[in-house]
Amino acid sequence: MAGAPVTLPLVPVPREEASAPPRRVVLLGNPNVGKSALFNALTGLRATVSNYPGTTVEVYRGRLPGTTIEIVDSPGLNSILPLSEDERVTWSLVQSARAEEGAVVVQVADAKNLRRALLLTLQLGQLEVPTVLVLNMSDEAQERGIRIDVPGLEAALGVPVRTTVATRGVGVADVTAALASARAPRNHLPIPGAVAGPAVDLLTRGAADSAAEPFSIARYHEALLGHAEVLAGRFATTADPKGRALSRRLGRIAVHPVWGWPVLAVVLWALYEVVGVFGAGTLVDLLERGLFGGYINPWVTSAFALVPWALVRDMFVGEYGLVTMGLSYGLAIVLPIVATFFTAFALLEDSGYLPRLAVMSDRVFRVMGLNGKAVLPMVLGLGCDTMATLTTRILATRKERLLAMLLLALGVPCSAQLGVILAMLASVPKAAAAVWVFTIVGVMVSVGWIAARILPGQRGDFVVELPPMRRPALGNVLSKTLARIEWYLKEALPLFLVGTFVLFVLDRLRLLQVIVRAGEPLVTGVLGLPAEASAAFLIGFLRRDFAATRLFDMSRGGGLDVVQVVVAMVTITLFIPCIANVFMIAKERGWKTAGAIAAFVFPLAFAVGGLVRVLMLGLGFGGH
Amino acid sequence: MTTLSPPVSLAAVTCGLCGFEYVPGGDTCREHGCPVAFGTCATRHCPRCGYVVPDEERSVMAGFVRRLLRRRTPRAVATVADLPSGEGGVIARLEGDSDLQSRLSAQGFAPGVTVCVVQRHPTYVIEVGETTVAVERRVAEAIVLRDPEPK
Repeated sequence: MAGAPVTLPLVPVPREEASAPPRRVVLLGNPNVGKSALFNALTGLRATVSNYPGTTVEVYRGRLPGTTIEIVDSPGLNSILPLSEDERVTWSLVQSARAEEGAVVVQVADAKNLRRALLLTLQLGQLEVPTVLVLNMSDEAQERGIRIDVPGLEAALGVPVRTTVATRGVGVADVTAALASARAPRNHLPIPGAVAGPAVDLLTRGAADSAAEPFSIARYHEALLGHAEVLAGRFATTADPKGRALSRRLGRIAVHPVWGWPVLAVVLWALYEVVGVFGAGTLVDLLERGLFGGYINPWVTSAFALVPWALVRDMFVGEYGLVTMGLSYGLAIVLPIVATFFTAFALLEDSGYLPRLAVMSDRVFRVMGLNGKAVLPMVLGLGCDTMATLTTRILATRKERLLAMLLLALGVPCSAQLGVILAMLASVPKAAAAVWVFTIVGVMVSVGWIAARILPGQRGDFVVELPPMRRPALGNVLSKTLARIEWYLKEALPLFLVGTFVLFVLDRLRLLQVIVRAGEPLVTGVLGLPAEASAAFLIGFLRRDFAATRLFDMSRGGGLDVVQVVVAMVTITLFIPCIANVFMIAKERGWKTAGAIAAFVFPLAFAVGGLVRVLMLGLGFGGH
Repeated sequence: MTTLSPPVSLAAVTCGLCGFEYVPGGDTCREHGCPVAFGTCATRHCPRCGYVVPDEERSVMAGFVRRLLRRRTPRAVATVADLPSGEGGVIARLEGDSDLQSRLSAQGFAPGVTVCVVQRHPTYVIEVGETTVAVERRVAEAIVLRDPEPK
C-alpha cells in the first residue's frame, strides 16, 4: 500500500435537516446482531428471528404502528459489497434507499463488536446514506464490561447512536424518535486512492464484472477495518474481555473434538424423543384415534347420513372422503408431527447450536462436495424441503446450491413424512429399521459423491460464524413455530384435500382401478407391494408425506409384512419431491434443473426399492 | 500457497546404511528384480545394499508418522493452521483467492489483528475479538501470521 493516503473522491454533502419523518426504514447489519428482533420490536409483527447467521433469506416487511412508515428487514451482511447471493439482496436494498427520498437505514450493531459494525457504518458513509446506528445487545456488552462513549461516537460519526436490548424492547422508542434525525455517516477516511476509487465504483454499481482492474476487496476492507479499529479503540473500553463463563463453556463443549460427539448424540436423541415418540406416537394417537376416530369422524358421518345423495356423502366421509381421509391425515397425523418438529427446531436455532452442528458435520458433507454449512438446509429439510430449498442460498457456490437441492429432493424426508416413517418403522424389528436408515444415508452419500464429481464448479470454503450460545426466548420460539405451522397448513392442507379429491374422482370414474392395474408391474412386480399401494404412490406426486401416510394406514391394517414396510418406506423416502418443492427448485434454478432432478429421482427410488427387497429377502427377513 | 513446505526434490539421496547416492523411484526397484515393483509399492530401496526407506508420499502410515514426529519439533509459526490449540498470533496478511480474502476481511480478519485458535478438530475454531469463527484447514492456512516476537 504505497502512496500517501488520499481522501475519498466522494465528498460528504451536508444534507438538509430532515425534519419530516422518513417513509421507509431499511434495517441492516452484521449477521446475528438482532435485526429481526428489532424488526419485531419496532413493528409488533413477527419476522423469523433466529440465532443462525444467514437465516433471513427473504426480506420481511412491516409497518411502524400508527404511521405509514414502512420497515424492511434484510439478510445479515459483513460488507456492503455483495459477496454472496443473499448479501446481494441487502446491497440492492441499500441502493434503493440511496435513490429514494425519505429512505433511511437503521444499522443494527452488536454492541460487543463495534469494530466490525463500524466497517459497515463507514461504507454507508461512503454511499452517503442517512443512517441511525443502533447498538443492540447492550446488556450483553455491559455484562462483559464493555463501555461505549455514545456521545463521543455520535460526534465522530455524525449520526444518531442509540443503545437497545431489542429482545426485551429496551430503547426501541428512542430508535423510532431518532429516525427523523438520520444523517449520512461522516466520510473522511484515509484510504489509498488506488483502493478507494474502485471500491466506491463497486459499492455503487455492485457488479464486479465491469471492474476489470485487479482491485482487491480485501485491501479495501483492511483499510476500513483499520479506521474502525481506531474509532472502536477510542470510544469503546473493555474492562474484562472474558464473556459469560457458562455460555462460553457450553459453546466450546458443543464443538469439542471429543465432547462434541456425545452432545450431538444427546441432541439427536432428544429430537427423536420429541418428534418420533411424543409427536408421532402420543400426540397422533390422541388426535387421530381420540379426537378424529372417536368424535369428529363418527359425528360428521352421522351428520352426512342425513344427506340424501350418496355421491356427496362419499365425497366427504367415504373411503376417499375429504373429512375422513384428507382432513384427518392432514390435521391428526401430520400436524402434530410438524408442530413438534418445528418447536424442537426453533429451540435448536435460537440456542445457537445449529452453526456448531455445521462444525461437527463438516467432514461428512465434504465427501458429498459440500461443506458443513450445508447442514442448515439439510436439517431444515427435515422440517420442510421447500423451505430448505430456499435456504440453499446461504451456500457460496452454484455447484453447492445445486448439490444441496438435489440431496434435499432425493433423500431428506420432511418432518411429516419422517414422523410417519418413524411410526411405521416402530412396528418392524430394529434390524429392519436399520436397513432403512443405512439405505437412505448410503444412497445420499453415494449420489452426492458421484454428483460432486460430475457437476462442474467448486466447493466453497468453510467459514461459519459461531454465535454465543443463548437461552432461547420462549416468546420467539413460540411465535416462530406458530408462523411455520401456519405456513405449513396453508401449503400442505389444500394439497391434502386436492389429493383426496383427485383420488375420489378417479375412484368414481373407475380410473383408479385402471391406474392400480397399470402400476402393478412396477409396484407389485418390482417392489413386491400390494397393488393398492399404487394409489399411494400416485398421490406421492402431490406430496410425499401424504403418500407415506397412506402407506402407514395400510400397514396398520396389517396389510404389509416386514420387507414390504421397509421397501415401501425406502421408495417413498426417495420418491419424487412434493409439487411445492419442484416449483421452488424451478424458481431458484429453472425448470430444466427441476425437471432433471425429478427425472433422476423417480426411477432411482424404484430401483433402490427393488434392490432393497431382493437384498432383504436374501438376508432372510421374509420369513416372519 | 504456504511458503513453508519444503520444495519437492528430485535430487539424489544418500543411503543411510552404505552411503551410496541414488535418485529414488524410477526403475531402481525393477532392476533389482523386486516382483511387486511396478511403481506402486510404498518403500524405496537403496540400489546398492537394499536398505529400505518408507516413501512418505505414497505410504499413508509413513506420512502419518512423519507428520506426528514433525509436529513435535518446534518451528516458526507461519499460518493460523500451524498454531496449537489455545494459542494466538498477530495476522500479517491474508492469502488465497480474492473471494476468500474479501470474506475473511469482512469478518474482521485483517493485518495487525490478534487471533486465537480455540481448537483444530473437527474444524478450526478461531476467535477474533468478540467474534468466533469456524473454518476448515485450507482457510486457516490462508491466514498468515507475523513472526512471533522473541521472548
